[in-house]
Amino acid sequence: MHRHPERADYDRATIDEVLDEALLCTVSWVDEQGRVRSLPTIQARIGDTLYLHGSRGARAWKSVAGGAEVCVVATIVDEIVLARTSPAHSMNYRSAVVFGRGREVTDHDELLAAAKAITRHVLPGREDDAAEPDDDDWRQTLILAMPIDEASAKVRTGPPKDDVHDLELDVWAGTLPLRLVTGAPTPAPDLRSGIPMPDYLPECGEELPRL
Amino acid sequence: MSTDAPTPRTRVRRLPELGVYEREAVHAILDEAIYCHLAWVGADGDPRLIPTIHARIDDTLYVHGSAASSTLRQVKLGVPIAIAVTLVDGIRFARSMFEHSMNYRTVIVYGRGVEVTDRHELERVFDAITDHVAPGRSSDARSPSDAELRQTTFVKVALDECSAKISEGFPEEPDEDLALDVWAGVLPLRTVTGEPIADPLLRPSIETPSYVTDYRRPPGS
Repeated sequence: MHRHPERADYDRATIDEVLDEALLCTVSWVDEQGRVRSLPTIQARIGDTLYLHGSRGARAWKSVAGGAEVCVVATIVDEIVLARTSPAHSMNYRSAVVFGRGREVTDHDELLAAAKAITRHVLPGREDDAAEPDDDDWRQTLILAMPIDEASAKVRTGPPKDDVHDLELDVWAGTLPLRLVTGAPTPAPDLRSGIPMPDYLPECGEELPRL
Repeated sequence: MSTDAPTPRTRVRRLPELGVYEREAVHAILDEAIYCHLAWVGADGDPRLIPTIHARIDDTLYVHGSAASSTLRQVKLGVPIAIAVTLVDGIRFARSMFEHSMNYRTVIVYGRGVEVTDRHELERVFDAITDHVAPGRSSDARSPSDAELRQTTFVKVALDECSAKISEGFPEEPDEDLALDVWAGVLPLRTVTGEPIADPLLRPSIETPSYVTDYRRPPGS
């Protein structure tokens, strides 16, 4: 961020946009041995709170649930940036990082709201269809809440930035967009007959719908 | 979401203990992922985390940073790091909210970074990073000058310790949930490219190379 001030964006709207659009995030923390650990997980945002989903069975989540300082990053790569010179290659991307300590959610209403938000984050519409968690589900699952107050975003957009004297090179330059698209939904082999494909599932080849 | 949501096996394994098939799977995941999340222990003892670009050469993983930036300063000192890559292959829709999960492949490499200082190695890594982003690109793009080599930092970590997980298939639900009146199945996901956008400053008569128009990740997929 010091090196690329044009990529720094502390605008809260951008932070929210990235957290909402990125399907997954990575959460990192420092364990008892002083080693940094990372795990991918699914996030969801409700207002100023970021919820993270973890397994109660996973030992790793215990430090996080125990209030360790954590760092969460979500990244969306929009385009590959192909410059005329190899050092000028880059990505057009949006990333958001949130620092803080996780609080284990225990209140039933907050748990349900977070579970629905995480389900909605994956695919809007699904949260009203899927069966709500029962007591067994709650025992196995951990939901952490983090305030989004220490956070920043980085964004790069636009064409490659080659030096003027490199523009004469006989090399193609530009950007190549990347998109996350869906394939054909496949019913589970044990799906009961007579249950139609829900309307909120996107068509094959469409971009994954986001909030 | 399920207890099997993207929470990889937390057991860290030593790569040399893995079988050939598992090592190849780890390599393939690292190669296919276009970016990684690099975490390290900050000077204050707290975690830091950034997205960056990586490339693998044999059993060494390289990550890229700017020499002028403060981000890799700590990493260069050899503090513990973790490099995580995750590829999402699909969403598993279970009938019950908490049994939802992802089909995904993830590798997390643990170790300590070493700065690359050897000139020949730096040049090889530049090519590897450029080809990681777009296979074939390094033979087209101009190689870095001495000044550019000085402006870039590469940190390498040996692929010794990692945790990896491949999650695939359909949701697994307890029998009592199978009777629920809710659709269940898998929605596959993949990353595709759009139409290339030429640099507005592109000289006329330079054609878009085939490795851009036919871009596939992984190559040949």
